[in-house]
Amino acid sequence: MVDHPHRHQQNMVKIFYPQSLAVIGTNKVKGTVPHDILVNILKANFQGVVYPVSPRENFIYSIKTYKYVVDIEDPVDLAILVFPSSVCHMALEQCGEKGIRAAIIISAGFKEVGESGLARERQLVEIAERYGISFIGPNCLGVINTDPGCNLNASFARQMPEAGAIGFLSQSGALCTAVLDYAQAKHIGFSKFISFGNKADINEIDLLYYLKDDPHTSVILIYLEEITDGPALIRIARQIIEESGKPILALKSGRTAEGASAAASHTGSLAGRDEICDAAFKQAGIIRCADIEEMFNNAIALTYQPLPRNNRIAIVTNAGGPGVLTTDAAIQQGLRLAKFSDATTALFRKSLPKTANIKNPVDVIGDARADRYNLALSSVLKDEDVDGALVILTPQSMTDIETIAREVCNVSSQYDKPIYASFMGEADVATGIDILQRNRIPHYILPESMCRAFAVAHRFQEHRGKHEPLAARFKVADSKVHRILSVAVEAGRSVLLEHEASQILRLYGLPVLKGGLARSAEEAAAHSDRLGYPAVLKVMSDAILHKFDIGGVRLGLEDREAVLHAYRQIMRMVKKNAPQAEVQGIWVTRMVKPGQEVILGVKRDRTFGPVVLFGLGGIYVEIFKDVSFRVAPLYRSDAGEMIREIRTYLILAGSRCQRPMDVNAIEECIQRLAQLSVEQELVRELDINPLIVHHRGCWVADAKILL
Amino acid sequence: MTMDDVRTRVKSVIAHVLKADSALIADEANFIFDLGADSMQSLELVAAFEEEFGIEMDEDKALEVQTVNEAVEFISGYLRKKQ
Repeated sequence: MVDHPHRHQQNMVKIFYPQSLAVIGTNKVKGTVPHDILVNILKANFQGVVYPVSPRENFIYSIKTYKYVVDIEDPVDLAILVFPSSVCHMALEQCGEKGIRAAIIISAGFKEVGESGLARERQLVEIAERYGISFIGPNCLGVINTDPGCNLNASFARQMPEAGAIGFLSQSGALCTAVLDYAQAKHIGFSKFISFGNKADINEIDLLYYLKDDPHTSVILIYLEEITDGPALIRIARQIIEESGKPILALKSGRTAEGASAAASHTGSLAGRDEICDAAFKQAGIIRCADIEEMFNNAIALTYQPLPRNNRIAIVTNAGGPGVLTTDAAIQQGLRLAKFSDATTALFRKSLPKTANIKNPVDVIGDARADRYNLALSSVLKDEDVDGALVILTPQSMTDIETIAREVCNVSSQYDKPIYASFMGEADVATGIDILQRNRIPHYILPESMCRAFAVAHRFQEHRGKHEPLAARFKVADSKVHRILSVAVEAGRSVLLEHEASQILRLYGLPVLKGGLARSAEEAAAHSDRLGYPAVLKVMSDAILHKFDIGGVRLGLEDREAVLHAYRQIMRMVKKNAPQAEVQGIWVTRMVKPGQEVILGVKRDRTFGPVVLFGLGGIYVEIFKDVSFRVAPLYRSDAGEMIREIRTYLILAGSRCQRPMDVNAIEECIQRLAQLSVEQELVRELDINPLIVHHRGCWVADAKILL
Repeated sequence: MTMDDVRTRVKSVIAHVLKADSALIADEANFIFDLGADSMQSLELVAAFEEEFGIEMDEDKALEVQTVNEAVEFISGYLRKKQ
């Protein structure tokens, strides 16, 4: 269950379905926001009562105005504030007195203008909380509800969009106007269109929660600049997909990389904010899009047509070249060309011209008219081995574009399988495209975009079927972990010593080698005799973060003599390269036998909280950056997916007669580490680099924990 | 000039710029919320006060003045400095 202020649940119904509303601060000056919003509400034929509130006017467009909202005799469901920011608090206060519990604050001049604006915004929130008001905004374009039972256009957009099944949420008001214009040209309709601006009160989580149960919305689109609560976003998105089966498409700005150089660990430098956002969206099932066009390309596929049962497509084209291009694009997107049944092939052989290609892609050749498209399209959709059809048309002199478009719509209405189309060109095909768009056939100028959209729909279909719980929790001696961390915190250390990090990881069930702390060469040798050879010696000092760099590590020490010598050598190197560092001793372990090196890590992200990293390890980790991320807590399949996601997965899985590494062991380590990251908030960053993986089992060879 | 004189002249300026009845303008009235001034009229008010009282005001600070009482206080300050 998603945390959700109770007042919003009740009040949001009045934002989207008010029976009466007041436009507070409106005027008669055409071309201004306070005026245009009132006009938009009237023009959209709002199915409720409108009360203009204007201190100076007696009437606007023959409608009686009120000086103050409290002067209105009847109850008011929704207040739309269009006053300048300096007096919005006065208007909202009166709304509270009047008993209004829902508001849209259009006015700008709040958080976005700096400190003084932020203070004004906080004042609004304080008033809203005091009266139990829920409000959208401030600094937003407004709200549109195309449901004919309401017909609300409480925005200063230039037009009311067509009714449709897409719910659109945007943090940017300006983007909303561009999207409306774009959508209008393509006959894309919306159920709810919401610009939420500074989200001072109602935020994207609340709105997603509302759209989850909105019967008029089947696909949700969201544009975000910053995320209010990362973990809540993941939870609500998963809930929407699981409970309502509605896909969520997101456009998230801010892809710039965070300065990695300042990071103190590999994980810190590898996990940029955008990579984490990508991972979180994936985990949430949110389909992240690169731009508006891609977002709507995917949205129309998901909204207009049934989801494909699988990824076997049939291509029907009147031109060879585009058919091949589409085939290439489809394969690149992970789709498969369907192999037609004998009956379909026999029918094509009998009915299509001799020069036609009767295999997939089906080329009905250049002189094809609507009847031939009908035959090909109907036949492939009837075929049990086909999950959807992609129609290509190039305008040739005998091509009856409009009739073919109508035929495509006609066939589409007869089958429960998706049809997408690409009528290639612009001027000649325009009328055909218009027919397709009006009849909810997803159309794409480029076949590549069409294939991408089909692949997105297919992946969503696969994802939608999954209902998985959080990964199981392992038993941990929590009090012992706390004690170790408390000692470090009390000593004012921000880095755990080697033996402390090892102990914490062991308590979390990670495979850590036994070790011993030596304060003399003799002691080091004694530990090695006990633990076994070859041995590893590492300097222990909270002032030395990168032990290798200063010569503080010796590997592969085969015997007692080598250990004695290595101890003295390390001490010399430390004195030379880090003379100020206080050395607590030398940590002695047995050396892990060679295997495949991977990295595991934890980082805390300010939006999403603890983030777990996995990747190919060793000293080249920051060069290859072959890593995957997930936000903790993990869901059951996350760890496995993280491993399979990296480019070099095959090295682990085994290829060319190589035995596979113990991937299950890595999976368990990731899950245990994710649990640690959630439970131990004092741990700021953590690196296990490398975790050495064998054909059976794995070992932590080096670990670093930062507080 | 007494504060009452300033108040009377301030209300007269407001009534002229906002086309309102000066008798109906309360001392606590907010230019925007109660009297319906828009952003252009707020600027006009500043200019009209300057002309009426023969003073030159800091425009940013003047635009922060929101009520009749605040305007009287603000302008009186300038008049005191002028003397």
